[in-house]
Amino acid sequence: MTPAALPLAIEIKNLTKDFPLNLRGVKLRAVENLTLSVPEGRVFGLLGPNGSGKSTTIKIILGLLEPTVGECKVFGVPSGRVDSRLNVGYLPEAPYFYRYLSGTELVCFYARICGVPRKRLDERVREVIDWVGLSGAAQRRVGTYSKGMLQRIGLAQALVHDPRLIILDEPTAGVDPVGSAEISELILKLKAQGKTVLITSHLLAQIEDVCDRVAILDRGKLILEGDVNELVGQRDRQALIVDPLSPEQLDELRGWLAARGHALNAVEQPRARLDQLFISRVSRPDKGGQK
Amino acid sequence: MNATTGGVPFSFSRLLIVAGNTFTEAVRQKLFNFLLLLAVGLVASAQFFREFNFGSSELKFISDFGLGAMVFFGSTLTIAATAQLFFSEIENRTALTILAKPIWRTEFIFGKFLGVFAVIGVFCALTTLLLAGLLCSRENSLMALHPDAFPNGRLIHYGDLMVMGVLQWLKFGVLAAITLLIASFSNTNLYTVVMSFFMLVICHLQYLAHDAYAQVASLPLRLLVRMLGYVFPNFQVFNLADQVAIGSGLDAGVVLRVAGYALVYIAVIGGLAVYSFRNREI
Repeated sequence: MTPAALPLAIEIKNLTKDFPLNLRGVKLRAVENLTLSVPEGRVFGLLGPNGSGKSTTIKIILGLLEPTVGECKVFGVPSGRVDSRLNVGYLPEAPYFYRYLSGTELVCFYARICGVPRKRLDERVREVIDWVGLSGAAQRRVGTYSKGMLQRIGLAQALVHDPRLIILDEPTAGVDPVGSAEISELILKLKAQGKTVLITSHLLAQIEDVCDRVAILDRGKLILEGDVNELVGQRDRQALIVDPLSPEQLDELRGWLAARGHALNAVEQPRARLDQLFISRVSRPDKGGQK
Repeated sequence: MNATTGGVPFSFSRLLIVAGNTFTEAVRQKLFNFLLLLAVGLVASAQFFREFNFGSSELKFISDFGLGAMVFFGSTLTIAATAQLFFSEIENRTALTILAKPIWRTEFIFGKFLGVFAVIGVFCALTTLLLAGLLCSRENSLMALHPDAFPNGRLIHYGDLMVMGVLQWLKFGVLAAITLLIASFSNTNLYTVVMSFFMLVICHLQYLAHDAYAQVASLPLRLLVRMLGYVFPNFQVFNLADQVAIGSGLDAGVVLRVAGYALVYIAVIGGLAVYSFRNREI
């Protein structure tokens, strides 16, 4: 199914959000005339520099802010309504949870708020904590968790009621590359389960790895939107990776290509990405979050 | 916020979940334990100050001193706990994760209120029981030493002392609702605490407004003062301590009227807090 034919998880039309700055009526326009659609089952990246309106847009989707102009619907329900959040899980940027609760108590609290049935509660909480890889630290107080563990318990609370749409606001902010890679893996697992994921991140490499589609905001305006492959792929070029060639062999290859109307534009040594090298060398945390 | 009634009905169960979490947070915070210990210590120490009874009878002094400690520390705890428990949600952004769930802001606000109210309830119960124990112990000693001074049996109305504890709890409930109302539109914890203490003073001096409007000749001014008398709850109506120790005992009608007075103010002020918070952008 093409993105246009998929049912929409989020539909934003002509959305503008102003914040009053003082009593004289001076306003800050955080989002301006934004129209955006997120199809169901896709991983959608919302990108932009700081202050571009990403978090404001997310808050409007979650019903935490009211649009000044325009409309926002989640699964067809206006985002200001409580029932628009029935199928939404949210992980805020740099989450800070109740420090005095254990991981299990915290997820259990959110599960009860979301109306997870009592007979399924313990099983579901255990399941989701295990899924994010925190079962070894589930009984520890959240106040003792590292940043990466906080992100993972945040993800657990966002997923505990099995929502169809998961919104992740800077899920890897302040997390080391290993933790960041694990969160990327979790996002891809969610995608495999058919969930819709809306993610904001400054780590563009991560966005490129996990997102199907991205939108870029700048000063509250949408400046670019499209499928990742279409946006960053160079369809008129190809790269061949071969064993090392001697200078003579390279000259021969250039001649062969020139005879067929092609040019050898660049010869360079492929490089592994530094984050991949880092992840392959350092040890991964165990289920309790300890290295 | 602009939530409508579609799909998710108001749930008392969700409200209780928020209340339970608020209660747990408060109990695990050091401030509550500190104030509770201080209040218990002060109430217990009343029996050591009996020489400074300023002419009052010893039992009345213990009763007044104990209730005074309860009122002072109870008011401090109510304002500090309500402001802290509300603003910790805003400043730590835990409110974002809760309100991003299918929950009404009304459930959130009344849940916070009920959690704080439960904390204050525990505080009032403990201090009232301790005070009753102290009074009973001292009264037993005095009855054994001076039986002639107790021709009609016990002087202290212990049942009324418990009722008094409940009335103080309700008064703190009104104060918690006022603090929550201020917090619902305030931007800082400090502003909320300072304004709430101002409100506490105004509500305790309410009787001055009552006296004033009776003496003002101008009708508009009299009506204005009278209206202000309704806007700010009168905390003096909860001051029934004189009837508890060596007094005539509490009149059931008065107690019910005072309790009703508190509940009406809690409902109205709580409703205003909900209205204010629903329009707040988190």
